[in-house]
Amino acid sequence: MAMESDLDLMQRIRSGDAASFETLLRRYRVPLVSYCCRMVRDPALAEDLAQEVFLRVYKARERYQPEARFTTWLYRIATNLALNAIRDRRDEVSKSASEDPEGGPAFEQFIDARPTAEQQLIQVDKERLIRQAVASLPENQRVAVILHKYQEVDYRQIAKILRVSESAVKSLLFRAYEALRERLEPLLREGQI
Amino acid sequence: MICLNREQLFRYAHHLLNPQEVAAVRAHLGGCSRCREAVINYQRLDAVLDAWKPAEPSAGFDTRVRQAVRAQPAGRAGWSFGDLRWARTLALVSLGALVIAGVVWLARSQRPGLNPSALATKQPSVKVPAPISPEVAKLKPATVARPQVKNSGKLEPMSSSVSEDEDAGALDDDDLLANFDILSELPKRDARVSD
Repeated sequence: MAMESDLDLMQRIRSGDAASFETLLRRYRVPLVSYCCRMVRDPALAEDLAQEVFLRVYKARERYQPEARFTTWLYRIATNLALNAIRDRRDEVSKSASEDPEGGPAFEQFIDARPTAEQQLIQVDKERLIRQAVASLPENQRVAVILHKYQEVDYRQIAKILRVSESAVKSLLFRAYEALRERLEPLLREGQI
Repeated sequence: MICLNREQLFRYAHHLLNPQEVAAVRAHLGGCSRCREAVINYQRLDAVLDAWKPAEPSAGFDTRVRQAVRAQPAGRAGWSFGDLRWARTLALVSLGALVIAGVVWLARSQRPGLNPSALATKQPSVKVPAPISPEVAKLKPATVARPQVKNSGKLEPMSSSVSEDEDAGALDDDDLLANFDILSELPKRDARVSD
């Protein structure tokens, strides 16, 4: 059986079909929570934001106009909410970055449990470095990298989410990767060994 | 050999080039080890970034979303400004109709006297007693100021010196009431009064 399109699901949700909303929830729960978590670097807040995204989708079910892909709309809502949350907590986040509590208990639940303890420590350290490097990017570059690299969103779609041109997205990505290359130099060297 | 710029190489490594550009870069990479190395470094960076694993929602996440959705009032989604457009239009039309009705009512209530044109249009509803023949006039002179009927059939306006109070007084005149039977007994073919 072919997978129902997001548009079909939205139309059914509009007519009151709760099962279609359930399908949409199952389809996007992991990508949304994951995206929000990478954006705000706080699992609890990320879940609150993802929940708010789903709620807004539900509330807007009768107004929804399929002008662009559903995921463009979804990620735009999530991006706006995440950026607002980051701005609201800017002081706190900058403090967290300097103190680096990211390897603390809140993030341990996202660590793959299969590797050995030593490998796990290495993994934790790697992730911490990557999170810090991505978090240090300017807002637009950070959104572009996370959407492109981790959410596998096409650069054309990213342009619509950020409301910038496609060439601007390519430049944003290039500058972001150049910055990441410098900041993650130790990990790159390590990989060459 | 002149190396390609880094952005071009980055776009190649991340599949951001069109097919013609890809072909050109590929041809260059075949003979340029430095550019090949740069592309490999971008791919290596990509592999390093893969170490950041995605977060899984907690066990209660779905339940919380369902509860939040269920807490929404039924039909609330439809109550946007756009959807209320018809109601706003209806309210504006009703308000407009009320204002027009009010203006018309005020104009009518503040009218100083009878308007000739209004009289002309209301002519069918004005009950004009049958004209008085000269013989009858001799018997009993009229005491009531009332519109005069001309050959054209139009009513002449009443004298502006006759106020509504005076008019009301005239209607109470016993003489007029006393003559009523005589007037109504007059033949209809003499309805027109010559100048």
